[in-house]
Amino acid sequence: MGHGTYLTSKDLSARNKAIEVIKSKFSEIIEDLMNGRNPTLVIRKRTLTNTIYDEANGLLKLGEGVLKRSFLNVNESKKFMQTLLIASIIYESLKNNEYPTIRDLYYRGKHTIKYRDLVTRKVKEENTWDEQKESDSVIRDLEVFIDMLREDMLILSKEKGKVVGNMRIRSGDDVIDLSKMGHGAYSIEPTPDLIEFLDYDVEYVLVIEKDAVFQQLHRIGYWRTNKALLVTSAGQPDRATRRFVRRLNEELNLPVYILTDSDPYGFYIYSVFRVGSITLSYESERLATPKARFLGVMMSDVYGSPKLGKKPYLSESERKNYIIKAKEMDIKRAKELMNYKWFQTPRWKVEIDIFLEKLSKLEIEALTSKGLKFLADTYIPHKIEVGDWLA
Amino acid sequence: MSEVESVEKFRALSPSEFFYRNREIAGFSNPARALYQTVRELVENALDATDTHHILPDVKVVIKSEGGDGSRTLVNSEGSAEEYEGVLYSVQVEDNGIGLPPQHVPRAFGQLLYSSKYVLRQSRGMFGLGAKMAILYGQITTGRPAEVITSQILSKKIHYFKVSIDIANNTPVIHEFSIMDKNNEWHGTVVKIHLIGDWQRSKQKIYDYLKRTAIIAPYANIYFEDPEGNIVMFRRSTEEMPVPPREVKPHPYGVDIELLKRMLADTSAKTLTEFLVKEFQNVGELTALKILESAGLKPDLKPSELTLNDITELMRSIKASKIRAPSGRHLSFLGEKLIVLGLRETLKPEFAAAVTRKASVYEGHAFIVEAGIAYGDKVPPSDKPLLLRYANKIPLLYDESADVMRKVVDSIEWNRYGVTLPAPLAVLIHICSTKVPYKGVGKEAVADVPEVEKEIELAVREVARKLKSYLSRKAKEYEEAEKAVTIAKYIPDIARSLHTLTDGKFKREELEKELLQLLNKKLTMLKIKSLKEVVIEVS
Repeated sequence: MGHGTYLTSKDLSARNKAIEVIKSKFSEIIEDLMNGRNPTLVIRKRTLTNTIYDEANGLLKLGEGVLKRSFLNVNESKKFMQTLLIASIIYESLKNNEYPTIRDLYYRGKHTIKYRDLVTRKVKEENTWDEQKESDSVIRDLEVFIDMLREDMLILSKEKGKVVGNMRIRSGDDVIDLSKMGHGAYSIEPTPDLIEFLDYDVEYVLVIEKDAVFQQLHRIGYWRTNKALLVTSAGQPDRATRRFVRRLNEELNLPVYILTDSDPYGFYIYSVFRVGSITLSYESERLATPKARFLGVMMSDVYGSPKLGKKPYLSESERKNYIIKAKEMDIKRAKELMNYKWFQTPRWKVEIDIFLEKLSKLEIEALTSKGLKFLADTYIPHKIEVGDWLA
Repeated sequence: MSEVESVEKFRALSPSEFFYRNREIAGFSNPARALYQTVRELVENALDATDTHHILPDVKVVIKSEGGDGSRTLVNSEGSAEEYEGVLYSVQVEDNGIGLPPQHVPRAFGQLLYSSKYVLRQSRGMFGLGAKMAILYGQITTGRPAEVITSQILSKKIHYFKVSIDIANNTPVIHEFSIMDKNNEWHGTVVKIHLIGDWQRSKQKIYDYLKRTAIIAPYANIYFEDPEGNIVMFRRSTEEMPVPPREVKPHPYGVDIELLKRMLADTSAKTLTEFLVKEFQNVGELTALKILESAGLKPDLKPSELTLNDITELMRSIKASKIRAPSGRHLSFLGEKLIVLGLRETLKPEFAAAVTRKASVYEGHAFIVEAGIAYGDKVPPSDKPLLLRYANKIPLLYDESADVMRKVVDSIEWNRYGVTLPAPLAVLIHICSTKVPYKGVGKEAVADVPEVEKEIELAVREVARKLKSYLSRKAKEYEEAEKAVTIAKYIPDIARSLHTLTDGKFKREELEKELLQLLNKKLTMLKIKSLKEVVIEVS
C-alpha cells in the first residue's frame, strides 16, 4: 500500500473483487486475439427495445438482446477501443488505490491519435473521445459487460443525498450516529454498499424530493417525534441515494414513503425511486425500490375525489392561491407516464386524470405555506396512518 | 460547288488547274490554314516514308519566317487576280525514310494525279496529292519553286531538285537539278516550301497536330523548330512499330462505275474472267463466272471492248453477287500497346487503356477502329471528354463537331462507366482503312456511316468498360484503405489497454503485432506492413 495510504478493509475487499472481475472478463478478449479470432465484446443492449418491465419484481431489466462490439468491425472499432481504454484506466486506478470520478476518467482517457490517411496521404488527428458523454457511455457499457456498477469499482460521484434519523451506521472504520448531526445531515456516500447498518429505532423512511422541506422537517425534529428516517434526494435522485434507500427497504424491511411535488415531474421522481430510469435499466436491479410508496402530494389531496370519496386537504381559497398552471412540458410528461406499466393502475389513473382535467400543479412548499405544522403534524402522519399512499 | 460540277470541271481543266481553283477544299483556304496544312502534308509524307517501311521515324520540322522583319507581305501571283496577305515563311520537313528514286521526283512533286496503279494501300496521304497541293499553294503565293533533296538507302548519291508545276499543262518544271556524292549513311527526303502563311493564327493548331501525332506514333522522334525560335522534341518512347500496311487489290463492292471504267481500260487481262480474278480481291474463277453470267456478258470478252451499257450491267451484277467480304489483314493499326504508350507519354494520365476492334466492312471497304482512354492525373478536366481523332494515323483537328466520333463520344452515358463530367478524361479514336469515309473533301471529319459509327461506339464502350473496372477497383481499394486506417489507428490504444488489463503479461509490441496481423488477414487488396504507415503518434 505505502505512501501513507490508508484503506479500510471494506474498501480493499471491494477493490480486489472488482480487479478480479475485470481481469477475468477481459482475459476472454486476450484469448480471442491470441487464437487469431476477432476480439469481440458481447454486451447486453442498453436500448429501449431491449428493456423489459419485470412485473413480478416491479423492476426494469435488460432483455436478452446483445450487441457484439468487435475490433475488426469498422463501425464498432472505435467503441471497442474506448471500452478497453476505459476498462484499463479503471483497472489501473483500482490497483493504485485511487477513487476517480467519471470526470477524472474522461480526462485520463482523452488523448489524440495522429494518423495518416492512406488514401489522401494526409495526416489527420482524432481524439479518443471529445466529450464526457462519450466516456460516460462506455462506462455504462463496461458496467453492463462486467455486470458491476461503477460504485463497485470505487468510482466516485458528487454527493447529493442526505439522511438524518435515529440510526447508527458504520462508514469506513467510523461509527456515525445519524441522530447527532446537529442542523446538518449525513451526506450519503457514493459507495452506499460499503455502509454497514448498526442499530436503529425507526419505523419508516420518508424520502423528500425538496431539500428545503427536508431541512424544515429536520429542524422541527420530525424524525424524532415520528420515529422516521428522513432522506432527501435534492431533486432528481442520484445513484447513491437510490441504492441507500433500496438497502433500507430490502435489508431492514422499513417502509419507504416518497414525498414530491404534485405534478408529473414529481410522479416521475417517485418512478425513478421505485422502478428506475428507463434508459439506465441495467442499474435498476440494484438501485430500484419496487416497494416504495408514493405518499404525496397527490392531485386528489389538492382537489379531492368524488370517485374515491376523498375530501381535499386544501380549502377552495387555499387551492386558488397555491396552484400553478401546468406547462406544456408537464402535459407531455403526464402522457408519457401513462405509457408506463406501473402507472397503469386505476388509482394512478385517477391522479393523472385530475391533473389532465385541471391542468394545474402544486409544489410541496405550498403545504408548508399553509403551515409547517399542518405538513408535519397533520398531512404526513395522517396519510401514513390511514394508508393514503400509492404503490 | 456540287460534286457533279466538280467532276465536270475536272474534265474540262487540267488536274493542276482544277486543284488550283479549288484549293480551299484541300485545306488551303487562308494563310493560317495553309501553313498548318503544309506542315501536316509534309509530316505525313515523312511518316509514310519511314514507318511504312519499318524505319523508326526521325522527323525534323522547321518553320522559318523569311520575311526578314516579319512584316506582312502582299503578293500578287502570276495568273491570279487574288492577293495574299500574310508573312513569308519556309517550311522544311526532313525524314530518314527510304528516299525517292530520282527519276520519279519531278513527277512526284510536279504533277498532280501521278499514279496509274489501282492497288490500294492504307496510307496517310492519298497518292501524295497533299504535298503537291502544298507546293502548288507555295508557288501561287510566293512564285517560288519547292526544293527537294533525296537519297535512297543504298544510293551513293544525293539528288537536289528545284521543282514547280506548270498549272495549265499539269507537267513538272525543273528549275535546278544537281547530284552530290554521299559520304555517309544518310537516306531520306527533305522538302522545303516557301509560302505565305500566318504563324500566329496557326500556332496552336500546329502544336496540337504535332502533339497528337506524337501520341499516335510513340515510336517516332519529332523535332520541331518554330518561327519564334522555340524548339520542341517529341522523343520516341518505344522502338516497337505497328505492322506496315500491305497493298491490296480493290474489293468488287468498293469500286464505283468511274473506277471500273478506268480499270477496264488499263488492265492487261485478255478476258473479262481474267480481269475480275486478277484485278479484284476475293474473286475466284467461279465467282467471276457467276458475276458475268448474271450480267449477261461473255466470259472471254475483251475488257476494253465493253460498252457503257455492259459496264453498267457488270456493276449491277457485282453489287448483286455474293462475294466474300474484304479482309482487314492488309490494314495497319496501332494496337493497344502503342496507343496506351502514346497516351501515357503525352498526357501523363493516371490510367490508360485501349482496344483494337476486329476488322469490319462498309461499302466494300475494310476498316478497323481502335479506341483509347486516358484518365486522371495530368489530363485536364473538361465538361466534355477531350477527343483525339485519328484516321490512318493522321490527327484530325478541324470540324470536330461534324465528326461521327464526336457524336458517338457525346452520346455515351459516361456516368454508367463511373465518370462524372467534368472529368479528366481523354478519348482517342483511330479508324484505319484503305478508304476512310471522310465527310467532304477536307479530310477532317469522318462521316456518319452506320457500320463505322457502330464500330466506333463498340470500341469506345469496350475501352470505357476497362476504365469502369479500374475506377471501381480503385473505389474498392480506397474503401478498404479507409476501413483499414479506421481500425489500425486504434491498435496502439487497444494494445496498451490489453497490456494493462493483463498486468503486463503480454508486451505491447506483441499485442500490436497480433492485432495488425488480424487486421491484415481481413484485408484483401492491401496490407499494412508496419503500424508506422498509419499511426504517427498517440499522445
